[in-house]
Amino acid sequence: MIVLDLEALNEDAVSTAKRLGAEDAIALTARVRDRMIRFANSSVTTANHVEEAELMVYLTKNKKRAIASTSNLESSSVKRFVRDLFDSLKGLPESEYVSLPDRASKYSPSTLGFDRKLVEVGEELPEFAKTAISASLAAGGNRSAGVIDAGTIWYAILTSTGTKGSDSRTSITLNIRSFAEKDASGHGLSCSSTLAGFNPEEAGSRAGRDAKKMRGASEPQPGAYQVLLSPTVAANIVETVGMAASAFSVDAGTSYLVEKLGKKVADESFNLTDHGTVKGGLGGRVFDDEGTQTRSTPVIQNGILKTYFHNLTTAKKWKTKSTGSAGLVTPHGWNYEVGAGDSSYEEMVKEMRRGIILTSNWYTRFKNYRTGEFSTVPRDGAYLVENGRVTRPLKGMRAGDDLPRMFSSVQLLSKDREWIEWWEVDTPTLCPWMLMDGVKITRAYE
Amino acid sequence: MKLQEGKQLAESAVSKALSAGASYAEARIQNTRSRQFIMKNGESQPSFFAEGYGIGIRVISRGALGFAATNEMKPRLVTELAERAVKLARASAPVLKRKITFDSSKAVRKKWAAPEKVKIENADATWLRKVLLDIEGRIGDGRAGVKLPGRFLVLDAELEEKYYVNSDGAEVEARLPRIGFFGSLTASEGGATAQRFLQQGETGGLEVVKRVRLVEKVEEEAKMMGKVLKTAGKPPTDTIDVVLSPELSGIAAHESVGHPQEADRVLGREGAQAGESYLKANSLGRKIGSVEANISDDPTLLHSMGYTPVDDEGVAAKKRRLIKNGVINEFLHNRATAREFGLESNGASRSVSFDREPIIRMSNTFVEPGDYSTEELTKEVKHGVFFKTFTEWNIDDKRFNQRYVALEAYLIEKGEVKGMVKGPVLEITTPRLWGSVKARSKNMDFEAATCGKGDPQQGAPVWTGGPETLLTGIRLGAR
Repeated sequence: MIVLDLEALNEDAVSTAKRLGAEDAIALTARVRDRMIRFANSSVTTANHVEEAELMVYLTKNKKRAIASTSNLESSSVKRFVRDLFDSLKGLPESEYVSLPDRASKYSPSTLGFDRKLVEVGEELPEFAKTAISASLAAGGNRSAGVIDAGTIWYAILTSTGTKGSDSRTSITLNIRSFAEKDASGHGLSCSSTLAGFNPEEAGSRAGRDAKKMRGASEPQPGAYQVLLSPTVAANIVETVGMAASAFSVDAGTSYLVEKLGKKVADESFNLTDHGTVKGGLGGRVFDDEGTQTRSTPVIQNGILKTYFHNLTTAKKWKTKSTGSAGLVTPHGWNYEVGAGDSSYEEMVKEMRRGIILTSNWYTRFKNYRTGEFSTVPRDGAYLVENGRVTRPLKGMRAGDDLPRMFSSVQLLSKDREWIEWWEVDTPTLCPWMLMDGVKITRAYE
Repeated sequence: MKLQEGKQLAESAVSKALSAGASYAEARIQNTRSRQFIMKNGESQPSFFAEGYGIGIRVISRGALGFAATNEMKPRLVTELAERAVKLARASAPVLKRKITFDSSKAVRKKWAAPEKVKIENADATWLRKVLLDIEGRIGDGRAGVKLPGRFLVLDAELEEKYYVNSDGAEVEARLPRIGFFGSLTASEGGATAQRFLQQGETGGLEVVKRVRLVEKVEEEAKMMGKVLKTAGKPPTDTIDVVLSPELSGIAAHESVGHPQEADRVLGREGAQAGESYLKANSLGRKIGSVEANISDDPTLLHSMGYTPVDDEGVAAKKRRLIKNGVINEFLHNRATAREFGLESNGASRSVSFDREPIIRMSNTFVEPGDYSTEELTKEVKHGVFFKTFTEWNIDDKRFNQRYVALEAYLIEKGEVKGMVKGPVLEITTPRLWGSVKARSKNMDFEAATCGKGDPQQGAPVWTGGPETLLTGIRLGAR
């Protein structure tokens, strides 16, 4: 529906900024088409279609910097917007500043993570929902709640030093929970950058199977356990490691990775890489917010912290180079990949003497980001494992730990991995099952 | 000015949706302007401002809801959007088991504005920065008596303007200015660290900074962190009394009363994301706490972050008595859930942006005041802990099993506040928590917070608060 010319908007913004006397200028536009259907009690509750675009502009003059975004994109409004932004520089102090590189880069869209078929998807969503609900019911769930979200996003960038490019991404995700009886629920996800990779039936089945298996769940004995985290749970925890790896978090004191560069921060079996673009990746793009080319960045290799995420400003402060991770203020990852192990799920369960399998979680909150102390609340399928055998379903618990200890206790990683992106995981993450030891499980006083 | 330009578009969107077959239609133009300044360890970050302007259209057709939104405000495109919303609703029919209908709430026609003394438009980067520099002047370089190697301060001045119209006759125009502050402070002493995440805010203009004593409060927090690191001892492990401060009373009211009493959760409609509720539709009248457990949600509180005299369905909002004398008394409703309960909406439907549909939200959720002074309440405690501020917290998705970890906490012995205790944990079920309330002070206070719900996420500004609340027979820590 939206017919905006993103490149023309960028030209308008950057040429206006240059005319006004800006030294550096960046214009970054994003156009989004988002289609969603939600259901609860196995009945659709709403269908959404959002078409919107946004322009972000960055300007510098005399080491003063300002950033602004607008969704008011008529040409006269854009000129006024850039003028207002430029005028606002006058009252600002000098700030940490690095000029844009002189060398201009040109970027073409990556073919990774874009499926033309997903651009027009919309009317199919009710059928996908019906498939997932039916599969859940057939697998043992009584009723389901869920959301299917098909997103397409187009980007374009232009800088005052001539860097120019465009890119686009597609994604389709299903998040479904199935309920069998009081406190018995299961969770399923299907996350794909292509229509062919989307499997609502499998996600629905998984949710229904777990809901059925959770019947009769009871509380565990509190204590330290081996825990086998599903890719869904592991991705939620790994995302907090990614946040801690931002140089901004390190500087702001909200990272447990302060003074850990080159040091051991996890078991040697743990590897974390970030990709600007990657096959199957649901996020990212070929350029970052400063026009630097994104890349694959090994963050943790064999348990050793190799780098923080940097933009141009944090890189200067740390006397290194940008990792293509801007965020103009906060550098960040795009698509995380946790390295695969060589175990099957069944082999991992057999390795557990006294452990708990967790398939989903929510509400991860930190007591202290500097020490990495946190707790999270498991939900849906959770099972006690004794001497390599699943013995009973569990409910009503909380898992708590600190990130340095937890990641030093990684015992096994699965060879199978899944892409995860949902309500509790913003950064798409390719993640295996992860077996960790000594995680504290608690229960509330009743 | 922008809002005026959009009015005609909103009205034509509603009539177009009706002529396309909708039985109900509404349109909301929303114009949001935000100016923000960030300071990290005393260093100014780039100033930031944002403008958001667009239209959201929601319809009911054949018993299904459709929502469409855009920021390209061209008449032809908005017309197409209205038709698309109707098509979306109709396309849902194969998966629609329960038709959606609205109650017969009185449609409000009103223009309202939150009071402000110094217009929010005066909050430029220079003013925002000066406030943060004032804070830095109190806490930087160890001036608060403790090293603070991590100081991340954000001050935000936002103006939200809305024009809302629906096919039931509602027409609402609103102006809502807000000042919001977020601070993350990391204190360090002898290799140990403590962190405080502090949020403050009110609706209003630039006067808010002084009214909430922002600079002084941040300084007090910094000083407190030094004391925690230097003096806090171990909390008791036996059965004790616990006094929850206004901050703790407020977060507990929000998490374990407000959320489970959102009617959409009760009916299972947030099941895939924020979860359901330990309460069912027939739980009204169920005793869940002591007679001293009285918790309300009130969108009409002047200056509050959740101030919403008319909601985003054109319904007059009013105070809701969620738990009254320990009994589940009322749920939070929009027009659809009210209809299912055979009631009229109590005006709890809100949206944070033009591209988000309105959903049931809390506004300002709090424990009602009692009649004790703070001193009288403390004297009631023979052996206990006063939870003054918290860091980590969470709760399960039925809102039954919750955890609050205190940062600033004190031992109370024989009615007197003694030394600090380190990191006491209250991990407790909802009935146990509210069933343990013995008394409440009359000392009310509120904190600003951002409430998360919805898919896509909608972070809604709210207040949480209450008086000091005395709980008896509590075991700290977790089992």
